[in-house]
Amino acid sequence: MENENMNKITINIGPVHPSTHGVLKFVVEIDQDTIKKVEPEIGFVHRGVEKMAEMKYFNSFMPIADKLDYISALNWEVLYATTIENALGITVPPRAVYIRTLMCEMQRMMSHLLFLAHVGEDLGNTTLFMWGFRERELLMDLTEEVSGGRLAPMYVSIGGLYYDLPEGFSEKLLSTLSVIESKVKNEYRAMSYENGLFKMRTVGVGIISREQILKYGITGPNIRASGIKRDLRKDEPYLAYDKIDFDVVTEKAGDAYARFMVRVNEILESIRMIRQVIKDMPTGDVKVKVPWIFKIPPKYTFVRQETPRGEAAMYLVTNDDQKPYRLKIRAPSFYTLQAVKELFVGSKVADLVAILGSLDPVPGEIDR
Amino acid sequence: MESSDTIKGRFPTLLSDVPSTNKNETVILLNDKSKLKTVVGEIKNHFDILFMLMVVDKPPKVFEMNYVFTNYSKNDILTLRVNIDRNKPSVDSISNLLGSADWEEREVYDMFGISFKGHKDLRRILLPEDWPGRPLRKDFQVTDEVRNWTGLDLKF
Repeated sequence: MENENMNKITINIGPVHPSTHGVLKFVVEIDQDTIKKVEPEIGFVHRGVEKMAEMKYFNSFMPIADKLDYISALNWEVLYATTIENALGITVPPRAVYIRTLMCEMQRMMSHLLFLAHVGEDLGNTTLFMWGFRERELLMDLTEEVSGGRLAPMYVSIGGLYYDLPEGFSEKLLSTLSVIESKVKNEYRAMSYENGLFKMRTVGVGIISREQILKYGITGPNIRASGIKRDLRKDEPYLAYDKIDFDVVTEKAGDAYARFMVRVNEILESIRMIRQVIKDMPTGDVKVKVPWIFKIPPKYTFVRQETPRGEAAMYLVTNDDQKPYRLKIRAPSFYTLQAVKELFVGSKVADLVAILGSLDPVPGEIDR
Repeated sequence: MESSDTIKGRFPTLLSDVPSTNKNETVILLNDKSKLKTVVGEIKNHFDILFMLMVVDKPPKVFEMNYVFTNYSKNDILTLRVNIDRNKPSVDSISNLLGSADWEEREVYDMFGISFKGHKDLRRILLPEDWPGRPLRKDFQVTDEVRNWTGLDLKF
């Protein structure tokens, strides 16, 4: 009896940097080096976003939607704008739809590049960390050129976009894309996905089964790595996704390595999509006029879209007022993170960061 | 759409239709909250995951619970709506049927103070244990006391 308890130690990992993903905390019970029990603790960056939404005009919530998931801000901007537009019954001009698609895919690439960088950092592969940030910086500069912002661009408005793309933007973007494509295909291959040491740390680690996916409601790249072909961009097309040709990337193994590979291939797929979007870009207006303060009749509006972390959704309840009556936000990471209670058990402490890194959670959207 | 018809067919006296304006969404209203677990057990045969749990506070009498279910292979969405008494907010937990309900129910408990019968670990999730009040209730006032709350006893 005493011996059993003597071997078990409870340690706190976090709340500052359990890996490089933000403020999360895990209370982990370990027996020597094996994890026996995990209890994730969240809420360190809770800002009361859903309450704030009820206190603000529809337009004034946009900067907060931006900061929900601070590394895929544009996807959340588009999601929020679409929710309000659907509730109002507004149709956005085709050029705005195409630019939104382009910005969403750019943001997805930035988010996935940051993911590759952070997995590198978690595994002690600092080169990958520097490289991921280097390539992301190219896209960040382009986002800054378009919108003036980097992390929180505030580019999407209700009814379209705040302004059109700057002159000569598509040429710059195309040349940046070919740089990133060659780096991901060549340099990244040598440093990560065909590197023996990298494979040793990730292959067969943290396998997510189909049962766990259904149990916890995991979505996005994490389930595509387990062989479930589900992508809202393909299955329930929104924006201009039904007009461009792309494949849904899947892997079979379901381990940390497969999750890494799905993101690598999604970057290449996004490059393919952006090239088509630039080629087919229509001309015309980028916004319809919507007053700053408006009312929405009593209605339930549900919109879901694919963000880089999975299926995000907003459920808006309006009550003939200038502010939302209730805005429920579904953050995909919130569901993914629940699964660590099962995923970590039985693995080594050193694998904890590899598994957590491969799940790509963002505390900003988990805590809201 | 077919699967939601099947579910309605199983419980004709308990479930009734509510019109929905959203694409692919079917909304059904459950009029007896004590049968929630039975109905969710049947829904589980047709839908893969609990997508979200949205609660709307409708003072003075009602908390409206919206359980949203979705599928991976199909696009149909099912929203199960249950009204519960606002003065004695309590409902059966479905966390042993669907794992994703675990944290969702803790969040609802945290934000609205609704207690879930049969939940194994019902405590606050996003806010600290000693936070004053249930913030997403309509009668919660965001005062200076709330804004400047630190959780620390800073009297010297």
